[in-house]
Amino acid sequence: MGFLTILKKLRQKEKEMRILMLGLDNAGKTTILKRFNGEPIDTISPTLGFNIKTLEHRGYKLNIWDVGGQKSLRSYWKNYFESTDGVAWVVDSADARRLADCARELHSLLREERLAGATLLVLANKSDLPGALTLQEIREALDLDGIKTHHWRIIRCSAVTGENLLEGMDWMLDDIASRIFTLD
Amino acid sequence: MSDKNSILERLSRRDAQRLEKLQKAHKAREEVDASNENEDFFSGAFKIKSEYIEQLLSQVPTLEVSVLPSHFDNIKREVNELQKYVVTSSFFLKEFNMRKYLGIVQNLQSKCYELEDRYVPRKKFGFTKKKLPKSDSHKQNSIDDHDGVDKVDSNKWDEKFFGFDSQNGKVLLLENDDLFQRDVALRNLKNCTIGLKGVMGTLHLTNLDNCVILSGPVTSSVFVDKCTNCKIVAACQQLRMHTSNKCDIYLHVTSKGIVEDCSEIRTAPYNLRYDDLEKHFNMSSLDRNNNNWDSLDDFNWLAPDVPSPNWSILDAKDCVHDWTEWWSKVPS
Ligand SMILES: Nc1nc2c(ncn2[C@@H]2O[C@H](COP(=O)(O)OP(=O)(O)OP(=O)(O)O)[C@@H](O)[C@H]2O)c(=O)[nH]1
Ligand SMILES: [Mg+2]
Repeated sequence: MGFLTILKKLRQKEKEMRILMLGLDNAGKTTILKRFNGEPIDTISPTLGFNIKTLEHRGYKLNIWDVGGQKSLRSYWKNYFESTDGVAWVVDSADARRLADCARELHSLLREERLAGATLLVLANKSDLPGALTLQEIREALDLDGIKTHHWRIIRCSAVTGENLLEGMDWMLDDIASRIFTLD
Repeated sequence: MSDKNSILERLSRRDAQRLEKLQKAHKAREEVDASNENEDFFSGAFKIKSEYIEQLLSQVPTLEVSVLPSHFDNIKREVNELQKYVVTSSFFLKEFNMRKYLGIVQNLQSKCYELEDRYVPRKKFGFTKKKLPKSDSHKQNSIDDHDGVDKVDSNKWDEKFFGFDSQNGKVLLLENDDLFQRDVALRNLKNCTIGLKGVMGTLHLTNLDNCVILSGPVTSSVFVDKCTNCKIVAACQQLRMHTSNKCDIYLHVTSKGIVEDCSEIRTAPYNLRYDDLEKHFNMSSLDRNNNNWDSLDDFNWLAPDVPSPNWSILDAKDCVHDWTEWWSKVPS
């Protein structure tokens, strides 16, 4: 039995998933994580390093890693890639100016070998803001339709109102589960 | 009887509306026919003008330092004129083309600023020359690496721009409803005072030199990027400062402020006053009693017990205590 298979078996028993939340600084990663966990969201500071939360959801144990997106931290992202099942890529829908940056970072991420096979959920966050771009605009700007290497989906959400956060997460869990827990 | 009258009246009104709609449609068709002609003329004139500006830009390296300031002023005037030309032609330009032209103007503008940064020595703040070239040349490279299509693309979202761009020596003001929860941007400003009396969602300050920013509450983040010698009075949940130096921040921040690639930043408590400020604070739901103005995280300085050399607390005796006069004057 190969190492990967053992790993999969182990995880299957635990029903554990590892999810990585990435995106540019200010996208709202930490806010989403805290909102999930039912913690207050108005005292969140820019992340220096990372946060990790373990949550139970629909019988799965989720380890969610939220890594800071400041420029000086992006080179450390790769330290968190190992055995990631899903990537939640968080986008600030109101920040049109940095969408090109955002697209560049996303596509360089997807070329990472260690993330091959991971499910990609793009969270178009801050949909509550009046200047938020449409889903279609973001989808185009990030060239999502050019992604052939990963299962992906984009969903509009808001960490402030909570809109669609669960829906997005549920899709990602289902997609991961159909892949890693049905191998036997 | 009156019933019948009102029905007749309604019918004739309906008829008039229909007629009006028909006429409008007809007129619109005429306009479309005319638009090709207009656009041909427009694009011809645009080409001549933009090539002329390119030419002025290309002369920069060959000119004497003493004539450069007036040369740059001339270029900026030309660029502004070109921009005005595009904007005033918007009624017949298709949206796609409009963006394309604005993108080209934008490129001319940033080229102008880059050249000015490189060739005109700044008298007052010589150190910025030493500090900034790295990021400047980096930016330039990343622009040059792309082909023309990408250049236009990066400006594709310019229609969403809300704020002030490319001004010198002005007092500028935005108020109330205009601002409410918007993504507001100030960029490429020099020697300006900008008042923002309202509640914003996010505030971006990019490439400001010797400016005073007087801002009401910002619900989420204030971004400061490539700013030099500015006084920034702002209230927000998070402050995110990058590649800036010699700035004084009069700050109300309810979570934490951070700096990255910054130097000579000084902080003081928020002390702005204007008529609706209390109301605006309430609308923003920022906690007035929670202000961490005196503890910034420096992403380039991770030693926990040694304070960062890149920022410090502004001595009370050096603070501006009353901003009243600043609403109407520009920085010297
Ligand atoms: N209106 C609105 N604001 C949001 C939303 N999500 C986050 N924010 C705000 O955006 C700002 C940045 O949020 P963070 O969660 O700190 O962003 P981050 O992605 O963790 O940033 P880094 O830690 O620097 O990578 C905060 O002021 C949040 O309150 C949202 O859905 N709507
Ligand atoms: Mg964070």
